[in-house]
Amino acid sequence: MRVSAALPTGVAALLFESARRRRDAEDRLVVHLREAGYAEVILPILDYVEPYDSLLTTASRGELYRFVDRDGELLALRADFTPMLARLLAPRLESLPLPLRLYYRGDVVRYQEERAGRAREFYQLGAELLGLPGEAAEREVLRLFLELATAVGGGSLQVVLGFAGALDQLLLAADAANPAALAAAVARRERSAVRRACPALLAVVENGVPERPEDLGPEAAGRLRGLLALRDELAASFPQALLTIDLAEFACNSLDPRMSEGAAEGERSYYDGVVFHAYAGPAALPVGGGGRYDRLFKALGAEIPAVGFAISLERLLEARP
Amino acid sequence: MIRLALPKGRNLEAALAAFRAAGIPLDGVDANGRSLLWRLPDLGVEILSLKDWDLPLYVGHGIADCGIVGSDVLEEVDGDLLVPVRLLAGRSRLSLIGLDPALPAPGTQVRLATKYPQTARRLVAGRTWGAEILKLSGSIELAAVLRLAELALDIVQTGRTLAENHLVEIETVAEVAPCLVVNRASYQRHRALLNDWIGRLEAAEVVS
Repeated sequence: MRVSAALPTGVAALLFESARRRRDAEDRLVVHLREAGYAEVILPILDYVEPYDSLLTTASRGELYRFVDRDGELLALRADFTPMLARLLAPRLESLPLPLRLYYRGDVVRYQEERAGRAREFYQLGAELLGLPGEAAEREVLRLFLELATAVGGGSLQVVLGFAGALDQLLLAADAANPAALAAAVARRERSAVRRACPALLAVVENGVPERPEDLGPEAAGRLRGLLALRDELAASFPQALLTIDLAEFACNSLDPRMSEGAAEGERSYYDGVVFHAYAGPAALPVGGGGRYDRLFKALGAEIPAVGFAISLERLLEARP
Repeated sequence: MIRLALPKGRNLEAALAAFRAAGIPLDGVDANGRSLLWRLPDLGVEILSLKDWDLPLYVGHGIADCGIVGSDVLEEVDGDLLVPVRLLAGRSRLSLIGLDPALPAPGTQVRLATKYPQTARRLVAGRTWGAEILKLSGSIELAAVLRLAELALDIVQTGRTLAENHLVEIETVAEVAPCLVVNRASYQRHRALLNDWIGRLEAAEVVS
């Protein structure tokens, strides 16, 4: 009998050269992470669904591979490392020496409509820095991300920076009835819808930042100034990467509960501070991203500052010249 | 150098005219001809000629930085693209059509023929009637005329084809416009040029 070698949609086997290429890259990154003082955590591929119930959006719930175990428990395949790590650490934080520097690697599985470039199983390598407050943690994590991504990806790395909730005040003032829809239009850079609703947002759509930081409101203006300084500092250290601030890119990543209705198509929306996406080569799918996610721990009952990132290693390798 | 993808077929003229009006003459481009790629070094532009349905994929993968494609196609094959402006020319409607001028009665089950199965599924999900979606690749009106399906979801431009075949436009589902779409990564890289183009298209009043 002939056995078919076909695989289900969205998964791939790496054979020979492609396997070697990924393991080589992975090895180099792991050496780098260890040297930077990060310790590995190995997480299970199966977990209960229930602890994540309050964290899931309609979109992220739809991506889960869920099933009922023989004992009747509802389980899911791992779709994201960060919440799993947060849930496992939250009850133990008081007994752990802070700050914690952790990294993980492995596959995540998410149901995606069949589309080119959208695998259902993909490999992630990421790092989390827990318990170091303020901008120091954001600087360290962004630096580490840039070091890793430029080490493997070669040239043409673009990092787009923003922060969660940056446009909330403008969005709510412009369209109190449906700010989430306006946020989606800003994220898609739809000029006429944005112009009609709020001229100040138009500058954000065109240039990524408002004409004056104060347009965002006093608190967000301060954060924007801080981010501009951090961007300049990182750009000087990583001249081979293009670092831009584009608040429109993260318009849907809000902090205001009034905007959570219909929020974020598939966006993992636990970020509540600095947030970033990285692109490499021409493709429009990010090769990595991350940010601050204190509120994820808060939702799990722990108060701790947390910043981290994940790299999609296969996409990054694909972009290598 | 920026790479612009233009669609073959009905949206091509609208796209070329809009760029011409904006002072960006894409001279010599005949996207309905046999050539696949043109270089316009003076403008710093390369033009790709693609079928509508393939265009979002090329832009999504960054093979083209930007392109012009109908919102009907975009709704169907969402590739997470940026959509800064929509052209005023070349607009049409996505409509439910059929021989019977009334929508199906609540609780009934019909067949619906379309080139847009995803859009159709989303549409039917919000209705009181149900439909089996039949995906066809062309001559959608014929499916309704010959009663392969009670309903068809298709583009209506002038309505002439409908009238000739005794079909009725029962309900307009969406306005359809050729859209400028941009790859997310390209938008960061070519922001100045794209903003310049968009500004000129807006000044020429050929987009909204």
